[in-house]
Amino acid sequence: MSHTLSLCRFELAAALRGRTAPVFAGGFALASVAVALVGLSAGGVLAVQGFARTSVSLLELVVWVVPILALITGAVAGADCHELEFTASLPIRRAGIVFSRWLAGTLTLGAALLVGLGSAGLVIGLLAGTADGWRYLRLIGVAVRVLAATLALGLWIGVAVRTRLKAVGVAVAVWFVLVIGVDLVAIGALAVLPPGKAGPWLSALLMASPIDSARALGLSLFHADVVAGPTGAALSAVLGKAGAWALTAALIGWTLVPLTLAGRRFSRSDL
Amino acid sequence: MIRLEQLRKSYGGRLALEPLNLDVARGEVVALVGPNGAGKSTTLRALAGIVRPSGGRAFIAGHDVVTDAVAARSHLGYLSQRLGVPASTVLRDLVELVARVRGVAPATAVQTLTVAGLSDRLGSTIGELSGGQRQRLMIALATLGPVTALLLDEPGISLDAEGSEEVRRAICEARDRGTAVLFASHQLHDVAALADRIVVMVQGRVVAQGSLAELAQAAGVPCDAAPPEPPIERIYRILVSRGRESAGHLTLLREDAA
Repeated sequence: MSHTLSLCRFELAAALRGRTAPVFAGGFALASVAVALVGLSAGGVLAVQGFARTSVSLLELVVWVVPILALITGAVAGADCHELEFTASLPIRRAGIVFSRWLAGTLTLGAALLVGLGSAGLVIGLLAGTADGWRYLRLIGVAVRVLAATLALGLWIGVAVRTRLKAVGVAVAVWFVLVIGVDLVAIGALAVLPPGKAGPWLSALLMASPIDSARALGLSLFHADVVAGPTGAALSAVLGKAGAWALTAALIGWTLVPLTLAGRRFSRSDL
Repeated sequence: MIRLEQLRKSYGGRLALEPLNLDVARGEVVALVGPNGAGKSTTLRALAGIVRPSGGRAFIAGHDVVTDAVAARSHLGYLSQRLGVPASTVLRDLVELVARVRGVAPATAVQTLTVAGLSDRLGSTIGELSGGQRQRLMIALATLGPVTALLLDEPGISLDAEGSEEVRRAICEARDRGTAVLFASHQLHDVAALADRIVVMVQGRVVAQGSLAELAQAAGVPCDAAPPEPPIERIYRILVSRGRESAGHLTLLREDAA
């Protein structure tokens, strides 16, 4: 275990030296300030929106952009595991190699999210007041949770597919399925299932995608479950106040299961 | 210290390594020689846990390399033909990692870079080093700390005369410390100079093994043959040629060969 921690330090140092984190942080800072400004510009006013409105607008950005970046980053990191012949000859469990890459990625990109969204939060707080600032902070928490889950999923894809290019292709395809495919299935289920029977199925579907789980969790911050569409409304009806916990548990599951599968797969692979 | 029992490896349907028995004792240096595709690297990679054997067993310091892999690798130093770490890795980070994992003081680890002539490159990335510098670094790291079994895959590759001399010195020092050394090489002069025992492999099979004198006898070459052709190269050619001709039949020189 101590050797795995040593490897985590090594991976973290390498990740911090990379360019991904600063680009991620800068991109999210710019996007957040832009969202805060653009929201009111349609009404002919160039002013900064408050935290509540900005958070709702940013949620869509978070649930679309964070997963695709994390899936691709994870897929590349997973495929690159097969190049680590020297590291694999050290007395460290193979699963520890995968875990350390995930931890380093989550900490680095999570910090980048915190810096990016946090610096934008400072601007919003200074120009539009601090009301509902806690909702914004919790939105960052949701972003980090979906980042951790999709990074783990990307790592599993990379470890399984082995080559960078194929892994990125599969990661993008999985992102499409998670973003659109699950919603299409939800719409189909609503059409097929009798009224009143669809709730549990739709709730399960909501947890069948880390992206939908994060979206519903983010919307629950604003008591806007109904805006989450049929699945969000069903989740609210079926799970009630336990909904947020169920969604958090789903995201933890979406982190642990792919991470475990990636570790097991890599442990049995020839490099 | 290093033991292979009927170890074999196949990729898909292709047998890369036929069942192989081999022992390397403490303080013994054994060389694997043979043409490309002979199974030398596969043998070393299976011992290092890089590939999983398809059958048989292998042990490092008594630990099974599959079922007790971490314990086995805690005794192991391994030099791969591939770089084996990202090119963007900073030397200082890599040296510190290996030092921590092998329980070596950071100052001692940095000293290995001095020996490898890289003490002023601690802040460089591995990608910024020349091929020879990388090879010297990886050899220094493979031999760092309490390593009792050393596996080297083409250690002399990319090295100039000075670097080759360093490799020979590193192998001799490891042997003098009681480390079992198993290395694969195409550089037959190094093999002749360093190896206590030479294992000749062809197409995944051991076709001969023994000391240089035993191999010379088997090949029918007088060991004191005069230049222009040094004996080791002539012996090698004859034995490999015989190995190819006698597909399916092994030329056994020692009881533990298979």
